Order: sequence, then structure tokens, then C-alpha cells
Amino acid sequence: MSVLRPLDKLPKLNTATILLVSTEDALLQQLADSMLREDCASQLNVHLAKSLPLPSNVTRPRIDLIVFVVNLHSKYSLQNVEESLRHVDASFFLGKVCFLATGAGQESRCSIHHNTVVTLAHTYRSPLLFCDLKMEDFRVTMAQRLVRMLQICAGHTPGISALSLLSLLQSPESPSLEDL
Amino acid sequence: MSMNQQDLDPVNTADVDDVADAEKELIEECEEIWKDMEECQNKLSLVGTETLTNSNAQLSLLIMQAKCLAAELNQWQKETPKIIPLNEDVLLTLGKEEFQKLRHDLEMVLSTIQSKNEKLKEDLEREQQWLDEQEQILESLNTVYNELKNQVVPFSESRIFNELKTKMVNIKEYKETLLFTLGGFLEDHFPLPDGKVKKKKKNLQEPTAQLITLHEMLEILINKLFDVPHDPYVKISDSFWPPYIELLLRNGIALRHPEDPNRARNGYGSVSLTVILQSQ
Repeated sequence: MSVLRPLDKLPKLNTATILLVSTEDALLQQLADSMLREDCASQLNVHLAKSLPLPSNVTRPRIDLIVFVVNLHSKYSLQNVEESLRHVDASFFLGKVCFLATGAGQESRCSIHHNTVVTLAHTYRSPLLFCDLKMEDFRVTMAQRLVRMLQICAGHTPGISALSLLSLLQSPESPSLEDL
Repeated sequence: MSMNQQDLDPVNTADVDDVADAEKELIEECEEIWKDMEECQNKLSLVGTETLTNSNAQLSLLIMQAKCLAAELNQWQKETPKIIPLNEDVLLTLGKEEFQKLRHDLEMVLSTIQSKNEKLKEDLEREQQWLDEQEQILESLNTVYNELKNQVVPFSESRIFNELKTKMVNIKEYKETLLFTLGGFLEDHFPLPDGKVKKKKKNLQEPTAQLITLHEMLEILINKLFDVPHDPYVKISDSFWPPYIELLLRNGIALRHPEDPNRARNGYGSVSLTVILQSQ
């Protein structure tokens, strides 16, 4: 089970599972806490991982949404995410993956240009969110947003699928540099 | 409660049966859906995995997305929305749930609004108190203002009058003391010639009249100046002691009449008067 596939298991009743992938343990933990504090009709499962692939000897529920967190201050975190992307099945990118870039606020400390992550997200046709996870207010808002996305990806919101959400999230007015 | 239940029992048993039937129906439907899901899951597990590299990701993902979106669209178009069986009991249960939810929400709204109301009441009370205080302050200030307004006019007039009066009294007193002191000074330092001198003089000449003091001489000169300013000259009579006349004339206190050596006038203060007379 080196490659992570969506819908590889039957869902559990009223349960939604999110997987946060990043080298930034502390930030992930805080984000996970904020998410669990959100008021949500479904039962939330938040899994944290430093990188993919996940160890195969553990049983885990079906994963509905993967969030790759890139810290713009560390080149290693970007590298780690790029490595991890190789262990994700293509069908996951039909709306069940999203990128989250943190640290864009302190531009002087950024070692990754934000265009790099924009291009990465564009290549994988997945939404890119910016959020300074160190600021509590921003983190709470982002947690709320992720919970709502997760509910859609887990199929708990009637009438909308992950793919239709994806097509809604892609902004047609911002073509990437390569398209120009 | 128990009484009620007993009363309602015959109806309730029928209800319970209905509910059980409805539940069974729903569960059966769920089972069917679950079976469908399991089938789909089996089919899905047969599909091979495919990972992406940076180079091929965009194109293959776009193709996949297009396919999936088309499939989804197709599915939505084909599908007729299914509704749960319109069983009376199911509807009743759902309605109850919905109402309970609504009640819960409304209760929350109620409590929020009540607390808000209380807060507003407190605010209002505080503001009212504040307003009262301000009004009291205004009132007291107004009364103070009115009192002051009433007091100011008579008070100031009488006060100025009194002040002037006391000043005048003071000045009068000062003048009295000044005159008294001057009189004392004159009496002390310019006494009338006493017996011895008189006797000597008597030997020389007969005193024609009672001599008057220097004080009296000055008074006569000053009074003359003020009483008859156009002709202030005083006739030098025998009652004026000659040495004192000489003293007054020498020091310029008195002036002799330019034509009549027997007359003199006060030397001070009359200059202006004589000037005025001349100009006339």
C-alpha cells in the first residue's frame, strides 16, 4: 500500500477523515486542534503525517482529503511535499487534494518564492490556500474552511461533489505564468 | 404520565406497529444502498493505481477531470431525485425532528435576545442615571447662576458706594491728622513771641494789635486765595508779626503786591490763577 488511493475502503458512518502532510509538526498540531474545535455535524478524524507513503501496517479509515502544507521559510518542506506527491494516486487530484502555503506574511524570511508553490498547485490542478498558521485568528479561519471542504469531499454535503467544488475553486481569471 | 399512557394505549400500539414498519422499510432501503456501495467499492478496487510526475501531471489530470466532470454531469442528468417513502410516520418523525431543531434554535435566539435586552436595560438605567445626574448638575448650576445674577447689581453698587465712602473717610481722617500735625509743627517751631521778647519790643514800639500766630496767618492767606481767587491779596495788618511776614516773603510762601507794599498773597497755587486772570 505504498500508493495512497481515494475510496479504497468503505466509509464509516458519518465520519470524515483529513490527512495533513508537512514537516512542520508544531504548526500541524495547532491546525489539527483548531479543526477539532470547529462545530461540525460529522465526526472529524484528523491524521498527521510528516511525509508519504504512510506505513502500511496500520489500519486507518478512508481518507477523504489530503492537505499538503508548505512552509515558505523552508526549502526542505517543499521538497518533502514534492516527494510525497509521488505516492498519491492520480484520482485523488479530482478534488481531494489541496495545498496550503504558510509564512507568506514574513517575506524577508521566505526562501521559496511564492510563484513556485503557485506553479506546483497549478501543475497538480489543485487549489492553493495561503494562511499564516502562526497567527491564531488566521489559523481558526483556515480550520473552518478546511472542515467545510472536508465535509464536501467526504460526501456529507448533499448536491455537491469534490470535483464540482474543485471546478468552483479554480479561478479562471488567474492563468499561470506558463499559460501566458 | 402513566395514566395518560394507559388511556392512550390502544392508539399507541397501532402507532408503534406503524413506526416499526416504517423503520423496517427505511432500514431495508439503507441495506440496498449499502450493497450498491459495496459493489462499487469492489469495482473500484480492481482499478489500478496511477501516480503522477511533474511532467505529465497537468495534461493527464485535465483529461481525467474532464472525463469525470462529464460523467458527473451525465449522472446528474440521468438521475431523478429520490425521496424517502412518504409514509405518514416517517413524515411525522422528520417533522418532529425538524420542529425540535427549530425549537432549539429559537430557544437559543430567545436566550440571546433576552440577555441582550437585559444588557440594554442596564445600559438604559445607567444612561438614565447619568442623565439625572447631569440634569441635577444643570439645575444647581442654574440656581447658582440666578442667585449670582440677582446679587450682582445691587451688591456691586452698594459695595462701590461703601468703598468710596470708606476711602473718603480714610482720606478725611488722613487730612485731619496731616493738618493737626502741621498745626502742631507750626506751634512747636514758630511760637508767638513770648513775654521777654514782647517786653523788649514793647520798649521799642507799642503793639497796636493782638498778634496772631503763623498758623493763622497762613490760614488767612490760603482762605483768601480760595474765597476770592481774582484778588487774593491780604492787607498786612499790625496783627501780623513782622519777622514772620519777612520769613514768608523770603521763602516765597507769600508774595508782596507789586504796587501796594502793604498787601501780600499766597505764593503757591495761585500762579495758575493769576495766569488765567491775565489772559482774561
